[in-house]
Amino acid sequence: MKEYRFRIIIILAAIALSIYLLYPTFLDYQNNKHIQSVVEQKKQEILNQNPTISKSELEELLTIVEDSIKQSDPSFIENRLKRLKLGLDLQGGMRVVLEVNTAKLLEKLANNPDQVFTSALAEAKKEAETSDESVVEILARKFQQKGIRLSRYFGNIRQDDAEIIAQLKKDSEDAVTRAMEIIRNRVDQYGVSEPSIQRQGSRRIIVELPGVAKEEEAKQLLQGTALLEFRLVKDPDFTYQIMERIDKALAKVLAAGNDSLLAELTDTTKKSDTTALADTTQKQLTEEEFKQQHPFFSVALLDPQGRSADAFVKEDDRNKIQRWLSLPEVKKEIPDNVEFVFSAKPISTTQDGKKVYFMYLVNKQPELTGGVVTNAVATLDPNTSAPIVNMEMNSEGAVEWARITGANIGKRIAIMLDGKVFSAPVVRGKIPGGRSQIEGMENLDEAKLLEIVLKAGALPAPVDVIEERIVGPSLGEDSVRGGLSAAIYGYIAVALFMIIYYRQSGSIAAAVLILTILFILSILAGFKATLTLPGIAGIVLTIGMAVDANVLIFERMREELATGKTLKASIDSGFSKAMSAIIDSNITTFFTGIILYQFGTGPVQGFALTLMIGIASTLFSALVISRLIFDYLASKGAKISIG
Amino acid sequence: MRIFHNLNVNWMGMRKTFYILSLALFLIGMLNVVFRGLVFGIDFKGGSEIVLQFEKPVDVATIRNDLANIGLGAVEVRTFGAETGILVRTELQEIPKEIYPKVVERIRENINKILPGVPYQLVDSTINSVTIEFTNPDTTNTMIAELFALGFQTGKVSEELDNKQMLVRVGIADWIKEVLREKVKDNPFQVVKEDRVGPKIGEELKRDAVLAVLLSLLVILIYLGFRFKFVFAVGAVTALFHDVLITVGLYAVLYGLIPGLNLEIDLPVVAAFLTLVGYSINDTVIVFDRIRENMKIHKTMGLEELINKSINQTMSRTIITGVTTLLAVFVLFLLGGDVLRAFSFTLLFGIIIGTYSSIFVASAMVLDYAQKTKKKVQFS
Repeated sequence: MKEYRFRIIIILAAIALSIYLLYPTFLDYQNNKHIQSVVEQKKQEILNQNPTISKSELEELLTIVEDSIKQSDPSFIENRLKRLKLGLDLQGGMRVVLEVNTAKLLEKLANNPDQVFTSALAEAKKEAETSDESVVEILARKFQQKGIRLSRYFGNIRQDDAEIIAQLKKDSEDAVTRAMEIIRNRVDQYGVSEPSIQRQGSRRIIVELPGVAKEEEAKQLLQGTALLEFRLVKDPDFTYQIMERIDKALAKVLAAGNDSLLAELTDTTKKSDTTALADTTQKQLTEEEFKQQHPFFSVALLDPQGRSADAFVKEDDRNKIQRWLSLPEVKKEIPDNVEFVFSAKPISTTQDGKKVYFMYLVNKQPELTGGVVTNAVATLDPNTSAPIVNMEMNSEGAVEWARITGANIGKRIAIMLDGKVFSAPVVRGKIPGGRSQIEGMENLDEAKLLEIVLKAGALPAPVDVIEERIVGPSLGEDSVRGGLSAAIYGYIAVALFMIIYYRQSGSIAAAVLILTILFILSILAGFKATLTLPGIAGIVLTIGMAVDANVLIFERMREELATGKTLKASIDSGFSKAMSAIIDSNITTFFTGIILYQFGTGPVQGFALTLMIGIASTLFSALVISRLIFDYLASKGAKISIG
Repeated sequence: MRIFHNLNVNWMGMRKTFYILSLALFLIGMLNVVFRGLVFGIDFKGGSEIVLQFEKPVDVATIRNDLANIGLGAVEVRTFGAETGILVRTELQEIPKEIYPKVVERIRENINKILPGVPYQLVDSTINSVTIEFTNPDTTNTMIAELFALGFQTGKVSEELDNKQMLVRVGIADWIKEVLREKVKDNPFQVVKEDRVGPKIGEELKRDAVLAVLLSLLVILIYLGFRFKFVFAVGAVTALFHDVLITVGLYAVLYGLIPGLNLEIDLPVVAAFLTLVGYSINDTVIVFDRIRENMKIHKTMGLEELINKSINQTMSRTIITGVTTLLAVFVLFLLGGDVLRAFSFTLLFGIIIGTYSSIFVASAMVLDYAQKTKKKVQFS
């Protein structure tokens, strides 16, 4: 027994680790089943009470129920993050590849474009469709042929062509960054869970939105121009008054017995830090009482010491507040010309990992919209070396800006992109001439982000959808079902064959195969990789090929036994002689896996990944686990039949 | 159980027969490739494809008729999965200029149906969308909601409160859906899958696929070069091309012959071909490995006899591995669904042909090459 101890420990550790990695997936599955059943039950209840309820209203109510269940237990979200992710082809969703339209961008960037320019651009655009060269390069070449210097249209007269080309290339890359930020901002707003927004090469963006049902709406979000606005933030006193009125109105609604509101309130009970930040005068109330009497302040927390009325709101509470604010009883307490908006980025994180956002009360009417911004540059202040953003406006905007800043000294102006606040600097004084300096950023990254946001209004990045793939949820479900049953029946078929052909040895191989599959899935989950339909195919293929290693060993053992060796000796030489063949028979498949992973996209990469992980797991299972079982049985003097 | 115990077959003696068989398969395949061609999926060709799931079974022929004269040229229609599924495909990506007015007319009709006599004007029309301006924001919002409910893809031009403009998407898929909603009124459908691949992406994917295939061949050649002497590499590579080309040929032969089996070359199929390359070379390497081992043991034995002996010894392993892999892939072919059908078909047939070639083609090539050059074959 002692000689096996080390190997046994390794194997048990591997199995334990696999189970640990896959456990969240199991829990997440259970949770989803639970949530589904509760929601379904609730749906029936609502339908019984109110058969005439409209579809959208019903959906809204059910989302509230679903959200509140999810919020009631933080482990739900935790498990969801750690689970084995399914690809878009399995869970349904949308994958869009966007490419920045360089031609359109050049058109926008050009100074005084004339006929010559437009026709050259059109030609360049056409050529670029079938060429690897970028539009910028082709256009530059075309102008060179005509003997026109690029500085006639771009940059300034002192720059030579190479400089301008470099600048234009940088501009088009910036456009991608901007488009990404705009998209991220909107996708975030749209509430898609686990979106993925990646940059591919210098001009492309890949957006993956799992489980999106209204594709078109989402697609609108990805294209179109971003709206940059400068809006006045209301005074703290005024804001506080409004909030108090909302709070009272909500408490009244609550006292009148609004079910869904009550439900939402009660599941916030676990948030122990609620009262800590809350208004100091309320301290004598118990947490529960506080919630009953001040429902609004229990989710929109104010800093008791601060002079500002920017409320702290946790990420999950944003939707809740939005719903409350749309209740008719609450709506009438808010003046028509103002609205509550949230910060685009979280300002901090609570102890339990929830992101916290600012909520501002701003004018509905923007003071200025982004078309007037001509440039923005993030840099470090030469005097204080604090990060700043220098913003420039066109003459028209500058006049307005001078008036606005002059009239609002000491007040704050929110810089908003698509309805979200990116910064709310205080106006120090009247700004004539349109050149403003924005301070107060924590670091240069933050300043860079603001630069992107300001430019998004000035120079929206025109993007084209060059590839889109939408998988409906029903096809995804079918695929999961098909893949799963293929894996199960595939396993049964292979296992039966092995047992019939190799008897006890075959049973060992079949049992070890289960561990192989376990390893594959857990490694996928551990690496946060995505399981796609071709990925499942890769697992099924692995099931078929995995026994190859065993077959090689068993055949060798048979030969060795036939020469009259003992079982133990046959095991030893069977394993060692089969070794080189086993490595041989896996290495080329592994090579092709690597290449496929490099060249493939999405689903195909999933296949390549499972294939490679499958090979690694197979080797471990066959060479370590099977070997151990054989050695152990042989040392006990047991007879193992190899058919 | 033992099926291939103590085999003693003179495989090399039969090699002429196998050459003829392989050559015949190869020629049939290549003739079909030349004359019938290979069909590429939209991954490589570019185009639009939508899959619709109807509530009741639909007749493909009727749908094909419905879509024949809508100005999209040759529209491909076939069943997808069960008899309620329909796949529609066209190589176009954008609405052709001739029917563009028709599409816009359809939008106008619907606007008039919703709010008769409402004033509006067309402010912009691009190849993918039209922009319509109404007189006030409320009308715009109503119209966006109503048209969306009818199945049009509508949206606001901006989120500004006084936005009066509505954007309506007029893509290929929208037009097809719109026509079918009109013509198959009693049988509602939902969109299961919608793909659109731009021509540039298609070109890139094609280039990547070709690169991937070439690169894996290169890697395998390098590997074989390290592992064996030249003679054996010749045999292995011949077998490899043999497998891939015959399988490609089969694609051309069988395309459209078997209902429900859609043999189009798309990304997963290329992945299957690469896997096949890896798998097929493995089998060959294992036979060669045995030949090398036997050479050391039986120093005086002739090459032909040596090869026969090695094949006979490894036959059991080769067949059993082939069978288990086939079992799994066959189950995948049956149960894996439509999306994986062509993929698993490639593997299914490829494994059979790969196993055959590693036994009969690869080793036979080595033997013939050695006899021709009259050299003594050496390893490492």
